[in-house]
Amino acid sequence: MFVAALLCLAFAGAVQAKEAVLKVAQVADISNLDPHRINDVYSANVVRQVYNGLVQMDDMIRIKGDLAESWENPDAKTWIFHLRKGVKFHNGEELTASDVKFTIERILDQKTASPGAVHVKEIASVEASDPHTVKITTKNPFAPLLSSLSRYELSILNEKAVKAGGDAYGKNPVGTGPFRFVEWKSGDRVTLAKFADYYQGPAKVDGIVFRAIPEDATRLVELESGAVDIVSNLPPQDFDRMSKNPNVTVVDVQGQSTLYMGINEELKPFDNKLVRQALNYAVDKQAIIDAVFFGKAAASSGPISPSIWGFDETLKPVYPYDPEKAKELLKKAGFPNGFECVILTDPRTERKSVSELVQSYLEAVGVKASIEAIEWGAFLSATAKGAKGMFIMGWTGTGDADGGLFPRFHSSNIGAANRSRTRSAEIDGLLQKGRTTIDEKERKDVYKKLQAMIIDEAPEIFIAVTKNLAATRKNVKGYVMYPSLISPLYGVSIE
Amino acid sequence: MIRYILKRIALLVPILLGVSILIFGVIRLAPGDPAEVMLGPTAAQEDIELLREKLGLNRPIVVQYGIFLKNALHGDLGRSIKTNNPVMEELLQRFPATITLAFSSIILALLVGFPLGMIAALKQNTVWDALSSFLALAGFSIPNFWAGLMLMLLFSIVVPIFPSSGYGTWQHMVLPTVVLAIQTMAVIARMTRSSVLEIIRQDYVRTARAKGIANRLVLFRHIVRNALIPVVTIAGLYFGHSLGGVVITETIFSIPGIGRLLVDAIRSQDYPVVQGGILVFALCVGVVNLIVDVIYAFLDPRIKAQYR
Repeated sequence: MFVAALLCLAFAGAVQAKEAVLKVAQVADISNLDPHRINDVYSANVVRQVYNGLVQMDDMIRIKGDLAESWENPDAKTWIFHLRKGVKFHNGEELTASDVKFTIERILDQKTASPGAVHVKEIASVEASDPHTVKITTKNPFAPLLSSLSRYELSILNEKAVKAGGDAYGKNPVGTGPFRFVEWKSGDRVTLAKFADYYQGPAKVDGIVFRAIPEDATRLVELESGAVDIVSNLPPQDFDRMSKNPNVTVVDVQGQSTLYMGINEELKPFDNKLVRQALNYAVDKQAIIDAVFFGKAAASSGPISPSIWGFDETLKPVYPYDPEKAKELLKKAGFPNGFECVILTDPRTERKSVSELVQSYLEAVGVKASIEAIEWGAFLSATAKGAKGMFIMGWTGTGDADGGLFPRFHSSNIGAANRSRTRSAEIDGLLQKGRTTIDEKERKDVYKKLQAMIIDEAPEIFIAVTKNLAATRKNVKGYVMYPSLISPLYGVSIE
Repeated sequence: MIRYILKRIALLVPILLGVSILIFGVIRLAPGDPAEVMLGPTAAQEDIELLREKLGLNRPIVVQYGIFLKNALHGDLGRSIKTNNPVMEELLQRFPATITLAFSSIILALLVGFPLGMIAALKQNTVWDALSSFLALAGFSIPNFWAGLMLMLLFSIVVPIFPSSGYGTWQHMVLPTVVLAIQTMAVIARMTRSSVLEIIRQDYVRTARAKGIANRLVLFRHIVRNALIPVVTIAGLYFGHSLGGVVITETIFSIPGIGRLLVDAIRSQDYPVVQGGILVFALCVGVVNLIVDVIYAFLDPRIKAQYR
């Protein structure tokens, strides 16, 4: 009897030990799990595990089928997607074309007020031709459509679940993804469980817990003590120390984001191209990278990151540090003694530090900049309406050159994302051509020309391409950090 | 006595009303608004305007306040702009963690600080007094976040007894409670010391001793009871201070309390959550002050006599 009891206990222990739950530490809590209501990476990271899109972008920025098995373009404005059959939502419903139609129409509806709507504004209509075929028609030929559809905001929703959920849908999400939603303890954690009926087969771990741990030091203590398995935001100053820890694996991937100091081209003397170029030469980008990012970034090779489709591979870091050339250009532009200006920043330490360094480099060539730190909301508003000088920003884009360039430099976006207020018929023309050219090779050529033109125009001081740093426990296998910071965890296992 | 309590409760109403007007106005005076934060850097001006209209942010501020007040009186504090969850629900979810932390730290501070101060006073100018003064000074000077990180390092990595972050079991509350209690404890110890030193020189203590009453009785009936009056005042005041400290402690230890909710809400300019959170804090401070006033009445018969 005693032996039997022991065996039972041992067996129960074995069963319990089998439950492999991946614990991921994020900086902040999620805001919502309705993909149409979010614009933060922490919610997106959870959404990515719960839902699928029609297509997906892998870590090498290649587009692959997801819920759509295949697609075709009968003409430049029409896209026909053939859906995978037998895909189940977590509520047991089968995926149909009408769910896809519902999803896209919902995100485009102004009443939804979705931050993600901007990526699919070119869509004119969506039709469910039959239960497994979706026809999307765009207003104009729109080459980046697939990249837009791969975004987390375009995760396919279940019409029935969304309607039943009403205002509370974001707390009871239903997707087709490898993990189903279990619980959200506000401010603390989100718990997901493996979805047994996932169309690609069940995940390797039984569940995922996303914990919100805002303090950098606490996140690392939790990783070192084994209380969490993955830390998805590793502060650069801790990278080297963590890489020496025998229980930890560090991950270092070139990110999709660029950091830059935007310049309002409408203001004097920034309306002079020579001045903008001089500012670029005046700043030592590598020194900023070493001081603020502890070397974990690369000097910018233009307006977009090399991790974005359409990046011109032949580009080298632009405007090498040359204060003499900067002074020469300022003299040529008619400002031999420099001038005074303003730098706007939001209060994040990293951005403030970069602003202060830029300020000191500019001072060395005679440009006296004063720094004004304002809250993020006010910063967005002030810079959209026309910054009173320069402003520090980061841009992640969509993984496609269009998402990295069109919002920022097309004149139709002045008053919104075109904060440098760039107004150039040539740039507008190339941006338009880039998004309407379906042929990939031809498109790449357009973006090559465009990047050269923007680098020459210098609407910003090109600073850095940041790296995505993460750390995992040694026994975590198969973790891949994506350039967008939003990484699927389907293939991850715990040994 | 009941009249006294009722009067104090009635006083809470104008205080809360004042706080609500103040916070409602101040948060709207800050530049930027939640619509911009929510729609992010790619948003077009017309979309921001549409969302502002949907959230009712383009109405005159007095109208907005009127609607808020009317709903608040019905227990509805609106919905969080960021999460779309009802604010009341979010606050209720986060309240237990914060209140447990605040109360446990005050109790710990009293349990340690009061005896420490007593010893210092009764053994004035001895090594015990010096030690107690040193501890109090150190406790008051150590910043919260530093103490937190050191305790975490010691008790989560070097000697792993307590979890370094999270919420759910009593073990999770040990380190944050200690961190939050340190400063209050130091103040209580100092306060107790000076108050006891003053009391032991009073005529009534000398009289009691002259009557031959046992030392222990003099201590508890005459000294402790009178020394408690200023200590209770300080503890009450420091409860409000603790609620401020909770913001830092909750962040260091990742405790899902109202402090962190407030910080996040202020960052994303989530007006309804900020308003609700501050109101709850104000209510807590008000209620604790009420409790302090009632305890006064018990400790000091003169107050009770006024309302008889």
